[in-house]
Amino acid sequence: MTMRRPRPAIARLIFVGGILVLWEVFARLSHVSPILLAPPSKVFAQIFDIALLRGEVPDFYANALTTIGEVVAAYAITAALGMLVGIAFASSKVIGDAFEPVLLVLYAIPKIILYPVIILILGIGVLPNIVFGVLLGIFVVVFNTTAGLRQVEPNYIALARSVGYGRLAIFIKVVLPAAAPTILAGLRLGFGYTVIGVVTGELLVVNTGLGSLIDWAAVNYHTPELYALILITLCIGVAGNSLFSLLERRWVR
Amino acid sequence: MTDKHLPLVIRTGAIVAFLIVWELAVRWEWIDSLFLAGPIEAMREIVPVTLAAIPDIAATLTEFAAAFASGVAAAILIGFAINQSPYAYKVFTPLFALGVSIPKVTLLPLFLLWFGIGKPPIIVFGALSGFFPMILNVMAAASEVKPNQLLLAKAMGFGKVQIFRKVTLPSMLPVLSSGFYYACNASMMGVFIVELALARHGLGVVVHGYAVTFKTADLYAAVIVTASITVIINMALWYMARYFGRWRA
Repeated sequence: MTMRRPRPAIARLIFVGGILVLWEVFARLSHVSPILLAPPSKVFAQIFDIALLRGEVPDFYANALTTIGEVVAAYAITAALGMLVGIAFASSKVIGDAFEPVLLVLYAIPKIILYPVIILILGIGVLPNIVFGVLLGIFVVVFNTTAGLRQVEPNYIALARSVGYGRLAIFIKVVLPAAAPTILAGLRLGFGYTVIGVVTGELLVVNTGLGSLIDWAAVNYHTPELYALILITLCIGVAGNSLFSLLERRWVR
Repeated sequence: MTDKHLPLVIRTGAIVAFLIVWELAVRWEWIDSLFLAGPIEAMREIVPVTLAAIPDIAATLTEFAAAFASGVAAAILIGFAINQSPYAYKVFTPLFALGVSIPKVTLLPLFLLWFGIGKPPIIVFGALSGFFPMILNVMAAASEVKPNQLLLAKAMGFGKVQIFRKVTLPSMLPVLSSGFYYACNASMMGVFIVELALARHGLGVVVHGYAVTFKTADLYAAVIVTASITVIINMALWYMARYFGRWRA
């Protein structure tokens, strides 16, 4: 190595910063219409304006809370139901063999084509967004929970049993910790997909939440607001992802 | 023997029970037939709906093919370039992982601004959706290549091309082919999202049209047709991934 390289995390920041600088320069010097492209400096200023309720964006906090509420509700169902089904699949070979192929086929359907059906049955509102979030998020959670539980070394279980642990104790003290890395990875991916599902629902049938604000900005050609709202929405995914990285670092050695 | 067939019996029983409850729910009007069409009624519409939708099926499949091919090609090119340096690998992996998990659908209004309505936004968004899962798999596949085997091949006098064909590619293929599966799934999702939101032709538009005009039986038929086509494509890729991965087990 001829030159000392910065740490990867710092190189990553430099890379992202470089893109922002290029974007800024391009937006200011080129003749692209300001309706199409807003420079990042304006976008970041806009984010502050939105947060301080100084801009034209209507009801920002109410809409943001709606979206966050939908995400939380959808993710609670995704995580709980997904892990429950995963545990059922892993604990009984018959149930696993019977229903895993069904789930695999359902997983192969792009869930988005079911969205019009969901809207038809549930009507317009927060409910279809929550259901759609669950529909996108739950598969990874189920698959990873099943895979993680099945990977557990049978010797550990045999050892625990010989020491006199009951079934529940074995599950909580041996099986769950051994399967935790795979399950957590599934929970993390599931969160991302749940957010994608909720926001997709909001954007396809514009009604409530950050999705409706993004649509408002797009329809009215408020371009800096549009970019700012998109970044804010993306941040929900990023925040969740970082939270899970933190959890994984703490729990998984 | 009964033990071996038990899962199949349970599965078939559950699916049949589901179909019966669905049919009865409509027959006995537990749910308004405006919102739910029975499976028998939906099945009856499948042939006419499919025939009417043939141009749209063709449009969707060509858009999907273009989106999937360009997304995967870009991911393979960039992925292999990044794989040349372990340092670049460390720098870029988290960014691409983020690319998978953030809701790219928020960019849709921007795509409308940039590309207008028509094929370009569908293909670009489909390609972008497939790109991230594929590149993560391309990069993960590189770590499946054992340095010892490369060394051995070199010691045996293999040339660069030969090493790639005999060692690198076979080691990467299992993870690479499961990347195709995930990318295909994501790319289809991307294509349908744009079709539902703002296209004028394609299967997504057909489904959307039946939904907003409350042609419920046709809607269910169209969803079943679309689901069948996508499941066939996805399952073909899934079995391909299994086929290339079989030597590992």
